[in-house]
Amino acid sequence: MKQVVVRPERCVGCMQCMVACAVEHSSSKNLYEAVFEAPLPAPRVHVAYAPGGGGFPNRCRHCVPAPCVNACFPGALSRDKERDTVLVDDFKCIRCASCAMACPFGVIRFHVSIQLPSKTVAQKCDNCIQRISVGKVPACVEACKTKALIFEDINIALQKRTQEVARAISKEIREEVVISEAWSTRLRFLSQYEGLRKVN
Amino acid sequence: MPEGSHKFQELTTVSDAQAMLEVAARSGIETVWDRYKAQLPQCGYCDLGLSCRNCVMGPCRIDPFGEGPQKGVCGADGDIIVTRNLCRMIAAGAASHSDHGRDLVEVLLNVGEGRAPGYGIRDVEKLKRVAQEFGISPDGKTPEELAKALAYAMQEEYGTRKSSLQLVSRVPLKRKEIWERLNILPRGIDRETSEMMHRTHMGVDNNWQTLLLQGARCALADGWGGSLIATEVSDIIFGVPTPKPSKVNLGVLKQEEVNILVHGHNPVVSEMVSAAVQDPEMLELAKRVGAKGINLAGLCCTGNELMMRKGIPMAGNHLMTELVIMTGAVEMIIVDYQCIMPSLGPIAKCFHTKMISTSDKARFPDMQHVEFHPHDAAKKAKDLVREAVLNYQNRIKERVVIPVSPTQCWTGFSVEALLQALGGSLDPLIETIKAGKIRGAVGVVGCNNPKIRHDYGHVTLTKRLIENDILVLDTGCAAVANAKAGLKTLEAQELAGKGLREVAKALNIPPVLHVGSCVDNTRIIVLAAHLANALGVDISDLPLAGAAPEWYSEKAVTIAVYVVASGITTVLGTVPPVLGSRNLTKMLLGDIEGLVGARFHVEPDPEKAAKIIIAHIEEKRKALGLEAKIL
Repeated sequence: MKQVVVRPERCVGCMQCMVACAVEHSSSKNLYEAVFEAPLPAPRVHVAYAPGGGGFPNRCRHCVPAPCVNACFPGALSRDKERDTVLVDDFKCIRCASCAMACPFGVIRFHVSIQLPSKTVAQKCDNCIQRISVGKVPACVEACKTKALIFEDINIALQKRTQEVARAISKEIREEVVISEAWSTRLRFLSQYEGLRKVN
Repeated sequence: MPEGSHKFQELTTVSDAQAMLEVAARSGIETVWDRYKAQLPQCGYCDLGLSCRNCVMGPCRIDPFGEGPQKGVCGADGDIIVTRNLCRMIAAGAASHSDHGRDLVEVLLNVGEGRAPGYGIRDVEKLKRVAQEFGISPDGKTPEELAKALAYAMQEEYGTRKSSLQLVSRVPLKRKEIWERLNILPRGIDRETSEMMHRTHMGVDNNWQTLLLQGARCALADGWGGSLIATEVSDIIFGVPTPKPSKVNLGVLKQEEVNILVHGHNPVVSEMVSAAVQDPEMLELAKRVGAKGINLAGLCCTGNELMMRKGIPMAGNHLMTELVIMTGAVEMIIVDYQCIMPSLGPIAKCFHTKMISTSDKARFPDMQHVEFHPHDAAKKAKDLVREAVLNYQNRIKERVVIPVSPTQCWTGFSVEALLQALGGSLDPLIETIKAGKIRGAVGVVGCNNPKIRHDYGHVTLTKRLIENDILVLDTGCAAVANAKAGLKTLEAQELAGKGLREVAKALNIPPVLHVGSCVDNTRIIVLAAHLANALGVDISDLPLAGAAPEWYSEKAVTIAVYVVASGITTVLGTVPPVLGSRNLTKMLLGDIEGLVGARFHVEPDPEKAAKIIIAHIEEKRKALGLEAKIL
C-alpha cells in the first residue's frame, strides 16, 4: 500500500509542503482565500533546519501501535485500520495534550478546529485520506518538486534506495553518481560558514 | 568584558560587538543574527538561483536533483533563470550607486546656480581637471559656471544620447578594445540598467551568455559611470581626501557629549550635519543641557566619506548598526539611503535615540522624516542637531554602556594623496613592485554578512596578505574591520612582511591604506588604470586582485562584476546564487578569464582565499617578466 515516504537528503527547505498542507486543511482549500480565513489553517508537516544545510520535513509516522492513541483519555485519537491512518476526532478531543507528550516526534500541534471553531484541538497529519479517496496524492507530495516527499509503497521506495547504493559502490560509476553537483556544492559552502565560526 | 560574551565569539570577532550582543540578550532585543537563525533553512531553490518570480505564469522553480521540472512555465531553463536573477541583482546595485552619483550631480548643478547654501566647491583644481576630461574648457569661466557646465555634461552620461561613457577614456586602450570586441562598452548609465531590466523580462533575452554580457556592461556603466561620478563630484564639492588620523569602534562615542551618528551613503547629507555640529550656537546649547560638547561619528559608507575627508571617527560597520543603539549613548542617528536595516527604528524605541530619515527615496519604520534638498539641507541639519542636543537630557546614564576605548587609524588615501606621498608620480610604487619589495596590491572591500563570522573574513585575509608583502587597499565595511583590528596604525608596519614593512616605513604609511567608501572602489580601478597606462600594459596584466570576504548586497555583486570586467580577478567570501546553473558557474569561475582576463573565485575561508590571491599575484608577476615565487 502506498504511503508518504520522506527522502530528507532531497529537502531544499522551501517549505512548500507546509503551505500546501495548510491550504488543504483550510475551509476554502484555496491559497488566496486561506490566508484570510479565521481561524488561519495550520500545516501538519513541519520543516526544520538540519545543520549542514537543507531542511527536514517532519511528519506523523502513523505508528503501529501509536503512543498518541494509547495516551488519549477520551478516545479522540484512533487508528483507521483500512487506511492505515491515525486520526483525531475534533468532537471528542479535550486538548489535554497527553498525545503530544507521548509523541516522540513532536508532530502534534494545537490549533482552533476548522470544523468546530469554538474549540482548540490536537491537529496532526491525516494522510490526506480525502484526497486519496478521489485518486489524488497527498498535498505535501504534490507540492514537493524535488521529490523529498514521495507517495510510494515503502518497500519499493527502499528497494530503489538499495539500487542507488549498489550503483554508488560500483567502482566505474562512483565518480558519476552525484545526485546534484549544485546541491552538494551549496551544502559544502554552508558547512564551511558554520565551520569558520569555531573559535580557535 | 561582560561575563558570558564568549558565546558571542562565534558570531563576531570584535569585543565591542560581543559586549553589545550581551546587552541585546539581557534586554530581549532581536538582532540581525537572531533573524538570520529564524530564517533557517533558507530556501535552496532561491539560494541556487533556481526560482523565478518574473511573471505570473509562475512562480517557477527548477529541481536541482533533476527529477522535478527542469523548465519554467515559459520554457526558460536553469541557465536562463539563474542568469536573469543575477543580472537583476547587477541592475539593482548599479541603480543604487548611480542614483547616489545623480544626487551629487544635482548638488553640483545647484552650487553652480547659487542655490545650495552650505555647499561649495572645495577643490577647484579637480573641478577643472574633470571638466577638461568632458571637453569643457575652464577658460573664461568662474568655478560656478564650470560646475554648472560639468553638471550638465554628467547628467548627459545618464541618458540615451551617448555611445560611450566619457570616463572610459581613462582605461588602457587594450582594455577598451576588449570591451568593444565583446560589445560591453557602457553607453549610458541609466540606459544600461534599463536595458538590463528589459532583457530580463519574460521572453526577451533568453541566451544566458548575452544576458551576462549585458550584466557586465551594466556593471561597467556603474564602475566607470555612476560610482566614479559620485567619487569625483564628492571630491570636487567636499574636497579630495588627504592622509589624516582618526579613530574607530564603539569607543568613539563619548560619555559626556551629545552623540550624533550619520548612517547611509551620500555625503550630501552627512557633510551638512558635520558643519552643523561645529556651529557655536549648537555648542553653546550643548553646554546649557550639561554636555561637554557635540560628538559626530559615522556608520558605514557615509561614515567612510566623513572619515576620509575630515577624520571624523567611525562607530562601526554594517553588523554594528543595531548594536550601536544599545550603548544607550546615542542621541540621534540621521540616515539617508542604502544598507540601513529597517530594524533600526524599532530598536531605537527601546532607548532615547531619535531616528531621522532624510531622503525622499527612503522611509523606514519608526523613523521621523526630515527631507533634505540642496536648497535647505544646511538649515535642516542645524535643526536636527538642535533637536539632538536637547535629547541629551533624555539620556538615561545608568543604561549607558560604552565597552571599549577607540582604536587609532590612518585614513584619507585618495589616488591624488597616494601620488603626492610617492612624490608626484607612480614610479616609486612601480619600482618597489618590480623589485619585489611589494609583490602586488589587493583591494579588500565589501560588506558584513551574518553568514560569516563578523570581521573575521576581512581581518584574517588582510593580515595574511600584508605578511606576504602585498599592499592592501580597503573600502567600505572592510575598512572599518581592518581599522578596528589596528591594521591602519603605523605600528601595524611590524605585522607586514619585510619588503612591505620597509616601503611603509620609508613612506610613513600603514601597510593597509584606507581608500574610502564603496563608491570609492572606483579609486582602486582608476589607480589600476594609471598603473597599467604607466607600464603600457592592460589592467589584467598587473599583479592585482580584489576580495570581498563578507559581502551581502546587490551593490557588491555589481562592484565585483565591474572589477572583474575591468581585468582584476576577485575572490568572494560568500557564494552568490549562481550554483543552480552549471554553465554560468563554470563561466564565472573560469571561462570568463578568456574573455576579460580575470575571473571569480568563491572561498569563505580567508586563509585559503589568501593562498589563492598570493598564487595569483605571483603568476601575474611571472607573466610580466618580474621575479616571482612560483611553487
